[in-house]
Amino acid sequence: MSTASKGLQRVFSQYKILTLLFAIIVIWVFFNYLTDYLFLTPRNISNLFRQMAITGMLASGMVFIIIAGEIDLSVGSLLGLLGGIAAILDYTYHVPLTAIFAIVLLLGVAIGGWTGYWVAYQRVPSFIVSLSGFLAFRGILLGITKGTTVPVESQGLVWLGQGYLPVWLGNTIAIVALLFLAFQSYQARTSRLKYGLTVTPVWQDVAKLVLAAAIIAGFVHTLNSYEGAPGVPVPVLITLIILAVFTFVANRTVFGRRIYSIGSNLEATRLSGVNVKAIKLAVFALMGLMCALAGMTTTARLAAGGPSAGNLGELDAIASCFIGGASSRGGVGTIYGALIGALIMASLDNGMSMLGLDSFWQMIVKGTILLLAVWVDVISGAGNDR
Amino acid sequence: MSEYLLDMRGIVKDFSGVKALNGIDLKVKPGECVGLCGENGAGKSTLMKVLSAVYPHGTWEGQIFWEGTELKAQTIRETEEAGIVIIHQELMLVPQLSVAENIFMGNEIKLPGGIMNYGAMYQRAEELMKELKMPDVNVAKPVHNYGGGHQQLIEIAKALNKKAKLLILDEPTSSLTKSETEILLNIIRELKKKGVACVMISHKLDEIAAVCDTISVIRDGTHVGTRPMAEMDTNEIITMMVGREIKNLFPREEHPIGEVFFEAKNITCVDVTNAARKRVDNVSLKLRKGEILGISGLVGAGRTELAMAIFGCYPGEYQAELWLDGKQISVNSPRDAVTQGICLVPEDRKRHGIVPLQGVGANITMAVLNKFAKFGVIDASAEMHQIQQSIARMRVKTASPTLPIKGLSGGNQQKAVVSKMLLPNPKVLILDEPTRGVDVGAKYEIYKLMFELVKQGLSIIMISSELPEVLGISDRVLVIGEGQLRGDFVNDGLTQEQVMTAALGHSLQNAA
Repeated sequence: MSTASKGLQRVFSQYKILTLLFAIIVIWVFFNYLTDYLFLTPRNISNLFRQMAITGMLASGMVFIIIAGEIDLSVGSLLGLLGGIAAILDYTYHVPLTAIFAIVLLLGVAIGGWTGYWVAYQRVPSFIVSLSGFLAFRGILLGITKGTTVPVESQGLVWLGQGYLPVWLGNTIAIVALLFLAFQSYQARTSRLKYGLTVTPVWQDVAKLVLAAAIIAGFVHTLNSYEGAPGVPVPVLITLIILAVFTFVANRTVFGRRIYSIGSNLEATRLSGVNVKAIKLAVFALMGLMCALAGMTTTARLAAGGPSAGNLGELDAIASCFIGGASSRGGVGTIYGALIGALIMASLDNGMSMLGLDSFWQMIVKGTILLLAVWVDVISGAGNDR
Repeated sequence: MSEYLLDMRGIVKDFSGVKALNGIDLKVKPGECVGLCGENGAGKSTLMKVLSAVYPHGTWEGQIFWEGTELKAQTIRETEEAGIVIIHQELMLVPQLSVAENIFMGNEIKLPGGIMNYGAMYQRAEELMKELKMPDVNVAKPVHNYGGGHQQLIEIAKALNKKAKLLILDEPTSSLTKSETEILLNIIRELKKKGVACVMISHKLDEIAAVCDTISVIRDGTHVGTRPMAEMDTNEIITMMVGREIKNLFPREEHPIGEVFFEAKNITCVDVTNAARKRVDNVSLKLRKGEILGISGLVGAGRTELAMAIFGCYPGEYQAELWLDGKQISVNSPRDAVTQGICLVPEDRKRHGIVPLQGVGANITMAVLNKFAKFGVIDASAEMHQIQQSIARMRVKTASPTLPIKGLSGGNQQKAVVSKMLLPNPKVLILDEPTRGVDVGAKYEIYKLMFELVKQGLSIIMISSELPEVLGISDRVLVIGEGQLRGDFVNDGLTQEQVMTAALGHSLQNAA
C-alpha cells in the first residue's frame, strides 16, 4: 500500500465521521444521477429525513446499548406494542393527548427497565432477554389489537407524525440552537480559563460556529423550500432534539461516561466502585423511552396502530449503529454516527424505490452494505486493540 | 545409548533481549522423578515450554537429547509422539465431554468413515482407570461429575494413553485437597516403578521431597544445582532458591506507625469450582495507621483472594468481618469498599485495572467522577484540573490526558490506576502486585510514592511475589500458604529464607 493511501486510511479511521459523510455524498450523487436529478430536490430530501426519523430514534437508544456491550432485539416489537397502546388509548378510551404521552412514555421506560433488570441483575444474556421480548411484546400487541388496525382520531397525535413546523418556528429554533452552541463554546472557554487550562484559539471556535451555522441554515432552508409542505417535519425535529440531548449525555454526563466505560472494560469499572448494574438497567430503560417515542410517531404517521408496526425495526436500528461506527465489541460509538447510519439506510431505501427496484433488491443491498461497513471498521481498527 | 532419557544442555531463551533462561541443564533418567524448584519467575515454566516445543526448535539456543538422539521438534504434537507429555497447572479438559472422550481427544479410535469407536475407547479408558486405581469412574459420564483430584488423574490417563515416557507436571497439586494430593503422589510412585519418568514443578517442598529422586534448582534463569534428594533437606533447597542479594532498589524512609485501626477477621473464601477447597482459610489481619503491611506467599496461595474478599469482590462464596476505626463495616461490593475508604489496585492491570479505550484522564477520575458533576453533568474543566494535578503528582508520561490509556507503557498505566484509587482518599490502600510488568524506573517511583503516602497517615497492604520487594518495603510481613496464615513477622532483620520457609509450610526453628 502506498504511503498516500495509508495516510488517507489514517485520516478516515481517525475521523470516522468523514468516512460516513463521504459515503452519504457518494450515495446521494449516485442516486441523483440515476434519477435524473430528482433525488436531491427539497421534496425528496424532506421525505428522506421523515423516513429516517423513526429508525433514527431507535438507533439513538440502540447505540448506547451497543456501546455498553449489549444488544436489544426487542425494540421493533416494543415500538409496535407501544404504538398500538397509544392508538387504543386514543380510539377506544378517548384519553387526552397529554395523558397518552405520559402513559406511553412511562410504559416504555418500565418495559425497557424490565429487559434491563433481567440483563443486569439476573445476568441473562441480553440477546436472550430481548429475543424473548421480541416474541412476547409482539404477542401482546396481537392480543390487544386482536390482529386488526386501530385508527387514530386525535389530530394532535397525527400532527406528531405528519405535521410540519411553521417556517418561522423552524427558523427561530435554528437561531436559538445556534445561540446555544455559541453560549456553550463561550462557557467552556471561561471555565477552562478559570482553572488555568489552555484554551483553543478564538478563530478556531468562531470557525466551528460558522460551519455549524452554515449546516443548520442549509438544512432548514432546504426543508422550508419544499413547496408542497414547507417546514421541518415534526418527527425530524424530535430526532434532532434527541441527537442534541443524547450527544450531551454521552460526552458531558457521568452516566454517559459510565456507558462507554462499561463497554470497554466492565470489570475494571466495577472494581472502581461504579454500580454497573444500575447503569445497564438505565441504558435499557432509555431504549424503552425511545421505543415509546418511535412507536407514537409510527402510529401518528400511519394515523393508525397495527399489529405489524415496527416489524424488524430492531434490525434497521442495529445496522444503523454499526454502519455509523459503533463497535460490536462495545466501548465505541456515537449518536451522530448512528443517525448518519440511519440516513444511509434511508437513502438506500428511498433511492432504490425511486428507481423502481423491487424491495428484495433493497434488502440485498442493505445487507451487503452492513457487512462491508463492519468489515471496513474491523480492518481499519486491526491491531489497535487486539 | 546414554543412560539418560532426557538430556537438556545449555538452554538459552531470550525474550527481546531479556534472558529468561541462561544456560540451563536438565537430565532425567528413565523412571526417575526430578523436582524442579525455583521462585516465581525463575524460568521453570519457560524451560518446560522449550522442552515441549511450545517454543519450537530454533527459537532458543542449546540442545535437547531424547533417548540419545537430538530432538528438534517444531510442534507439541511431535514432542508428544516422542513421549513427552506436559500437564498444565490449568487442566485442559472439556467438562461437558465424557471421561473417555477427553482421554482420546485428538487421538480418537475411529471406525471407517470417521465414526467414533466408542466400544474400543471405553474399554481402553477403563483399563487406564484401573491402572490409576480409579475403577469406580464411569468413563461414559461427563468429566464435570468428577472433582479436581479425579480430573488431575484423568489428565494423567490422557498422557499415559499417549504412551508418555516423560510426564511433566506443572504444579499438579495446586488445586487439590490433602487427600487428593496423597492419591496423586501414590500414582506418581507407581508410574516410576513402571519406568515412566517425571519432572515435577511444585512450590510444595514436602511433596517434592516425598516423590522426587533428584532436585534441580533454577534461579533467575540460571541453573543453581542438581543433587539427589537423599543428600538434601528442604532448608537447603530454600537457600538455593532465594540465595541472591537484595540490591538497593528500595528508597526506604522512616515513618511513624500508629495504632491498629483496621481489622479483617476470619476471612474464608471457597473455591469457585471445588466447594471442598478453601482458597483462603480463616485468615485474620490487623493494620496500623501509617503502616506498610507486606503479604507474601507463593502464586496461588490465596493472597489475591484475600484482597478480593476485603474489597468485596471475591467471585465465589466467602465471609469476611471488617472493622474500621473500632466500628464494624459492611462491604458487599467494591462500591461499598470505596465509600468506606478501602481501595484496591488489582493484580491484573489489563483485565481489572484500566478501561483501555478511554483516556488516561477518564481512567484517573473514574472512581470519583460524581465529585465533578452537578445533576449528573460533568464540569469538564474541574475534572481536567484534577487530572492534570494527578498526572503531575504521579509523573504519568502521556502526550495528552485524552489519549486512550492502552497506548501507555505498563508503568505509566499502573501509575494512572494508582492515581485513580488515591482520589477517593482511602484509609486503606491495597496494592496487589503493584510493580508487576513495570520497569525499574517506574518501580522506584511507585515505592517512593508508597512512603510518601504512609507518611501522610494512609496505610498500605502490599501483596507481592517478589521477596526482595516485600522485605525492602514492608514494616510487617504476613505470609500466606495454601490459604492459611503461616507467619506474621515484624520486618526487622527478617530474611528471605525465613519468609520462604514459612510460605512453604515449615516451622521457623528449622530455618534458623
